[in-house]
Amino acid sequence: MIQFGERMARILKSGDIVYLMGELGAGKTTLARGLARGLGYQGRVTSPTFTVLNIYQGVLPVYHCDFYRLGEGDACDLGLEDFLEKDGVTLVEWPEQMARALPARGFAVRILLTDNDYDLPRIVQIRGLGNEYEARLEELKTVVSPGN
Amino acid sequence: MDDVVILGIETSCDETAAAVVRNGSELLSNVINSQINVHRKFGGVVPEVASRKHIENISGVVEQALADAALDFGEIDVVAVTNRPGLIGALLVGVSFAKGLAYALDRPLIAVNHLEGHIYANFLENPDIEFPVVCLVVSGGHTSLVYMESHGCCEVMGETRDDAAGEAFDKVARFLGLGYPGGPAVERAARDGQPGIYQLPRVYLDRNDFEFSFSGLKTATMNQWNQLKRKQGFANVNDLAAEFQAALVEVLVEKTVLAGLTREVNSILLAGGVAANGLLREQLASRSREEGLRLYRPSMDLCTDNAAMIAGCAYHQYLRGETAPLNLNAYAGLDLL
Repeated sequence: MIQFGERMARILKSGDIVYLMGELGAGKTTLARGLARGLGYQGRVTSPTFTVLNIYQGVLPVYHCDFYRLGEGDACDLGLEDFLEKDGVTLVEWPEQMARALPARGFAVRILLTDNDYDLPRIVQIRGLGNEYEARLEELKTVVSPGN
Repeated sequence: MDDVVILGIETSCDETAAAVVRNGSELLSNVINSQINVHRKFGGVVPEVASRKHIENISGVVEQALADAALDFGEIDVVAVTNRPGLIGALLVGVSFAKGLAYALDRPLIAVNHLEGHIYANFLENPDIEFPVVCLVVSGGHTSLVYMESHGCCEVMGETRDDAAGEAFDKVARFLGLGYPGGPAVERAARDGQPGIYQLPRVYLDRNDFEFSFSGLKTATMNQWNQLKRKQGFANVNDLAAEFQAALVEVLVEKTVLAGLTREVNSILLAGGVAANGLLREQLASRSREEGLRLYRPSMDLCTDNAAMIAGCAYHQYLRGETAPLNLNAYAGLDLL
């Protein structure tokens, strides 16, 4: 999952959003760690479930959010629109918690367990939200291979 | 020296809190917005992670703290506030309020680190703790071992690499259907179960450092549950909860004792919300006794987020002359201790 994130990070640029979905323990934070590594940040990447937002200074700033504990009404509290407008890449765990408040653009990554067994490999599904990200799925295929 | 009366304000996360502390240890009031009287006053507002709620609550909470202490604003000598780390919108409510108050009253302002505040909950009740000390700060958002040479000199020896201990409690409790908050829910279930019937890993216990990792333990617990259900059609939730709690607590306790012995301290401190866990308190007390270390732990209501610990910490900063300018800002970041 770390390696996958590092590879995917190669095509990410300033202003990008990556939504990370999957049940508890699926590997969302681990994938976020890989993405942050790929974006040049070597420090600690921890779960933002309680802190809600961690900021890492890589080549680009990485905004690592987690809405697990939040509801729709809490969107304005994060200053979300502030850092979405700035330079940097935004990673969002549990975006389902405030889907309506989030921009309808970005890569939507869903991590699935195989046979409900945490010891088995994961299945990763990626969708492009919005025309730009849909088009960039082709570019994504050059760094991560489908079915692998 | 004259008495120093400090008003502490805390809005870094879910709770809006204010407290008045005299001379760093005399607790005159301690108000948290989840308290029933404030609830009533504000029409039953449930605290949530929202700066809007902090804005609605803060005036009432501060006024209540002064009323409980039987003091007027003019009798406050210092205004202290948590300015890091936390939710930026939430922190800014407390910081702005404190700045306004300090300016209006013409009193010094002190900026407090939330994590250091948790550590200082210990000094509220035991002002004469002898340095150096090692402190385990363990909550929903943090799991850190901190070495303190003297007041204000904090060195982080190790931290979690993924999930905090309290977060693992909450997520495992939700997965097993035990309820919220997860810490007390798991503890309750564990009381009716036996550790050792199922086996879970003691992550990083074999490593000679002070790093923690609880994400793997969380996943192992959930995996074991799924596998038992699949293979046997049944699993005893109380036994699994007991083993999970035992595995998590053993790592916390052994790493903390090792940190104390390595740094040759006399005293170990416990801080943060998970410090309310009975097994952790019990095991750390017994292992500390065996190793000749003195253990301090805050009373239950000072373990979770509160403003008394902020006022208590600020007292020692005030004695060192560490006041903040009125253009003080708030910082979300974690690595400022």
